[in-house]
Amino acid sequence: MLALRIDKEERGGFFPPNTGYFPDLLKQDGSYRQMRIHEKGSVSGAAHGTTILAFHFRDGVLVAGDRRATASNRIMSNRVDKVLEIDDSALLAISGSPAMALEMARVLDHSLKFYRRSQLTEISLEGKVRILAQLLKENLPMAVEGIGAVVPLFVARDPASGAVRIYFYDILGAHFEGVEFSVGGSGSPEVQGILRYLDRWNPRPLREMSREEAIVLSLRLLETASYFDSATGGVDSQDPIWPVIKLLTPGTLETVDERTMAEIYRNEVMRVR
Amino acid sequence: MFDEPYRWIDAIHQRRDYITEQLDRATPVVGISVSEGILLASFHRQNPKIYELYDRIAMGGIGHPADLETVRGILLNMAHVEGFQRSSTDVSIERLALFGLAPRLKAAFEDVSAPPIILDVLLSEVGKTFRDDRFIQVSFDGNLQRATDMMVLASTEEMEEKMTGLLRERIPAGEKTLGKVLPVVSRVFMDILFSPEELGMDESGNLLSPEKFSECESRLFEDRQWEGVLLDRNAPARIKKVAYSGDKST
Repeated sequence: MLALRIDKEERGGFFPPNTGYFPDLLKQDGSYRQMRIHEKGSVSGAAHGTTILAFHFRDGVLVAGDRRATASNRIMSNRVDKVLEIDDSALLAISGSPAMALEMARVLDHSLKFYRRSQLTEISLEGKVRILAQLLKENLPMAVEGIGAVVPLFVARDPASGAVRIYFYDILGAHFEGVEFSVGGSGSPEVQGILRYLDRWNPRPLREMSREEAIVLSLRLLETASYFDSATGGVDSQDPIWPVIKLLTPGTLETVDERTMAEIYRNEVMRVR
Repeated sequence: MFDEPYRWIDAIHQRRDYITEQLDRATPVVGISVSEGILLASFHRQNPKIYELYDRIAMGGIGHPADLETVRGILLNMAHVEGFQRSSTDVSIERLALFGLAPRLKAAFEDVSAPPIILDVLLSEVGKTFRDDRFIQVSFDGNLQRATDMMVLASTEEMEEKMTGLLRERIPAGEKTLGKVLPVVSRVFMDILFSPEELGMDESGNLLSPEKFSECESRLFEDRQWEGVLLDRNAPARIKKVAYSGDKST
């Protein structure tokens, strides 16, 4: 009977008020525990391998990711969504362990909504960035065991200025702003090199690219990554399996539809010489 | 003192009277299903009464603001933990009311040694279609009432019946748009918060003095604020504010 009462702590008089931090609530409830593997070495079958990228273009930020999930040399799935909408102003692109990354995305999604609904105000951009950093820090035991590392990109609109910003993280939760672009995953070295080259020596920097040019570039980058990295799924227009490409601007969040990608791919990527 | 059944029953009666008396002055909260979703509307003096709880779900409450905040916290926690553990589609007002709120309120009401919880709650859940919308009212003693197309949460049964009657009389049955319903709701609030004489109306309800009506509306907005939200059927993760539809809406 005692459990059914509105207890003193629920009345809020004698305990600190609700902070709006959702992971604390999950921990109290016992539904969010960090796993720890004590045996050394990695676990066979853990899924890894990805290419995710984000760069500024004229209207905002383009975020793209391939669809492949691998475990060792096995392809587990070619239809994983690695660019996730956290809300209408934030995107999370995930690389690393899908199990942990998708769980983090789910916690983050609920955290932002829980904060808004419990505190009756929007959380700041810095607050969003910090929640993800905290989740990564809490995931450190899994990361150092070699089976649960997550290295995400977080792209969000600043509610104060309307500007869209790119953040990248390390496995400890340290976060930095990717001023022009950021990349992640096993296929990222090639993509990073190309983006750096284009931004530095192309006649026009990345920020001056049009929407169409940005989409073309992202498809070409993902195909290049898949050419060198077996863990990155390329564009399979026969099956068809298309990457996920999302555009976050100061006023909109758009997912590029498959028909547009198919047309661009046919005309601009799959050139017949 | 409470070891004798009679004394406990007597204490419960007194508690009910006390809570009812405390709720007496509350302005009602109205929930109406429309094509676009669910409209929740009320007026408040100091503290808001209508809150978003979860995807598709919102609540309205009358009573003590501190108790409303306590109950809001309990429901928010329950909805978010359940939605995280399972799926957002598994969170329903039926579960929140039946397993989360009603037992707690009943236990709190019957524990006469503790201060009473002074509030009544209206939970609303928007569905895929007009016919799937749900309302549940949870009273301070843990009792539940359910409705589908509209529900009025008022401090007294008389007020609830009067307001429900006026709304049913003026709003056609079946599916209707927000644009049609909003002016009716705004007008019904005027009719229940002021007497016909104050509004400048005759016994048949004909408006004889628009000046008096306008004066009442000005008085209403002097000490109260309009609170209208839409639980949008097509974008149910975030409630939308709805402006008052009367002379003061411009």
